[in-house]
Amino acid sequence: MKKTKKMLLPLVSMLLMSILLSACGGGNNAASGEGGSSGSGKVTISFMHWRGEDSEAFNKTIDAFEKENPNIHVEMQTLPSDQYQSTVQSKISDGSTGDVFASFPGAQFQAFSKAGLFTDLTGSSFLSNYNPKLIEAGQHDGKQYAVPYQLVYNDPIYNVKLFEKYGLTPPKDWEGFLALCQKLKDNGIIPIAFAGADIGPGQFMNTMVMNNAPSDDIFTKVEAGEAKLTDEFWVKTLTQIKELNDKGYFQQDALGTKDPAAGALFIQEKAAMLASGSYQLAQNKQQNPNLEQKLLAPITVSADQAKYEGVHTTTFMLAVNSKSKHPEEAKKFLEFLSKPDAAGAYANQTGQNVTVNDVKYDTPELQVAGEWANKKTVFQPRFTILNGDNQKAVTNSIQAVLSGTSPEEAAQQAQAIIDQHIGK
Amino acid sequence: MKNRLQLSLFLLPGLLLYVGLFVFPTLTGLFYSFTDWDGVSPSYAFVGLDNYKDSLSSIVFRKAFGNNVEFMLTVVIAQTFISLVLALLLVRNTKTKVVLRALYFLPAILSSVSVGLIWAFMYDPSIGLINYGLNEAGMSSMARNWIGDPKIAIFSIAAVQVWAHAGQMMIVFIAGLQGIPAELYEAARMDGGGKWQVFRTVTWPLLAPSATIVVAYTTIQSFKAFDLIFTMTDGGPNYATEILTTYIYHTAFGSYSFGLASAGSMIFLVLLALLTLLQFKALRADRVSY
Repeated sequence: MKKTKKMLLPLVSMLLMSILLSACGGGNNAASGEGGSSGSGKVTISFMHWRGEDSEAFNKTIDAFEKENPNIHVEMQTLPSDQYQSTVQSKISDGSTGDVFASFPGAQFQAFSKAGLFTDLTGSSFLSNYNPKLIEAGQHDGKQYAVPYQLVYNDPIYNVKLFEKYGLTPPKDWEGFLALCQKLKDNGIIPIAFAGADIGPGQFMNTMVMNNAPSDDIFTKVEAGEAKLTDEFWVKTLTQIKELNDKGYFQQDALGTKDPAAGALFIQEKAAMLASGSYQLAQNKQQNPNLEQKLLAPITVSADQAKYEGVHTTTFMLAVNSKSKHPEEAKKFLEFLSKPDAAGAYANQTGQNVTVNDVKYDTPELQVAGEWANKKTVFQPRFTILNGDNQKAVTNSIQAVLSGTSPEEAAQQAQAIIDQHIGK
Repeated sequence: MKNRLQLSLFLLPGLLLYVGLFVFPTLTGLFYSFTDWDGVSPSYAFVGLDNYKDSLSSIVFRKAFGNNVEFMLTVVIAQTFISLVLALLLVRNTKTKVVLRALYFLPAILSSVSVGLIWAFMYDPSIGLINYGLNEAGMSSMARNWIGDPKIAIFSIAAVQVWAHAGQMMIVFIAGLQGIPAELYEAARMDGGGKWQVFRTVTWPLLAPSATIVVAYTTIQSFKAFDLIFTMTDGGPNYATEILTTYIYHTAFGSYSFGLASAGSMIFLVLLALLTLLQFKALRADRVSY
């Protein structure tokens, strides 16, 4: 037994040493995978994203692309969005997969830009197919690294027929919004279905803060230590959210409600507004074909002080992997996706608006968002907070006020967490 | 000698797996815990013990640790008690025991992600089954915002954890109970011992090895919980259910602070090791031999 032990020790040491040495030798994960060229000269590129629900639509796009480019085969790989968040970097970092890949705006885009994972697309001819304002989120240091493909308006959805029934129209100021909520409540309708347990705070904060914030880059200043959440803009926002909750304008126990349950209240027409965004319009309509829906942003100030009518986000940011072994083919695929026909087919099949110009939308739900193209909207304020922990601290301060903490104290608690990050 | 070499070769696959899946990642994590690596960039800088200092002083880390302890204590006490009671009830030779044992064991084979999703739905304050049931049964005053109220959210999740694993621990207790010689019970009864006395003087002391396993396993399992909390609340509302594992996950993949998350993991590993050691020491003293 003793001898076995003696034998095992050097064996374990050798194994550890070899693994450690091989790990050190690995360095920067030099490209190791094969690019996927077959003997016939056909090149295989990989397209990686998190929208499994769009697979069918993308398969049709890929078929059309392969018909036009018989020498390129596109292999699609999808991962659930939370898994995508945690594993995509390790998958794409050596270029063996994800020649074309999607990234989230905000923290992930920043980290990937710094790490040099994106191919610089600046000057590519296909960029002219996009609305230039809507692809700004894909820029870093003045270079276009990714093209945000989807366009979302993060404004609450409202039930048009219910509004008409009670003679209501989207209000122009805070007093008007409170009066509208009260009228709905008096008639036994939940004014706002609010998914307080998950997406609610992150979505609703955008329209609530857009006119309270003194500047569009206020959260950038907060993260730089130049402004604080304890400043008037955030305390006022929290106070107004608390007011909505205290007056019973959210459904009861909103903090325990998740997205599907809040959606159900709106779809069943028990609630007149749903604090989410345009991305949910098609899904709502599918579940209740009688619904007539539009978007409305609460204006938290007086009508003459309102800078913005709503919030937009451009996401699902498509990029070419800088380590790709087939960058030209990958660019060709991205160019194909950028054509109005391909983008339109994707939009109409998935019910998502796109950032590509001259797209013809088929359904009233997609056209609703189209109407918003001419309105004054600001890029989603939450996504201007680049650190995930800071983002969480901000949305958690909303949950804190909904559970009874005073707006001042909730703002202070969140600021204390942000201060710790600034100190690092 | 040849035999020993053969034996060592048989050990090799297991050893390789252990080194590859545990030792190597742990050492890699330890290495990154001294860097500012973001998890993506090819480069990083060494920052010494900064990540450890930052973790230990972090408001969220401390809150997560407190929640961890609260969650663990609740689960250990409730799960040990409930699984013991179930075992005592189902060790007898009744006709329904096999069916009941299978029923109580059933949650153990479900994936914790499914369990989390189903229970989160049942806990929903407006459309969930639990409040609906309470209202229908005329017990509306007991209806709660189960996972939305920061004061009770962690206990609501602890209840699900107990539901999911008490059956498993019941099997350990049943095995222990079946190992106690019948003569001891007979002798105790002949000496005039009542039910409680027999339990206290015969069953419980002889069940100590099983209890050790149950408490140790439950402690470790509940301390490193992740799936249930991640699927049910993701650490919310307002950090009320944030525990160390979700904190580490959020730090690594939400904020791209891989170095800081690695330091958090190392502290977590040390805490877990200490906890396990302490437990075995404390519970070993209770062992009785016969």
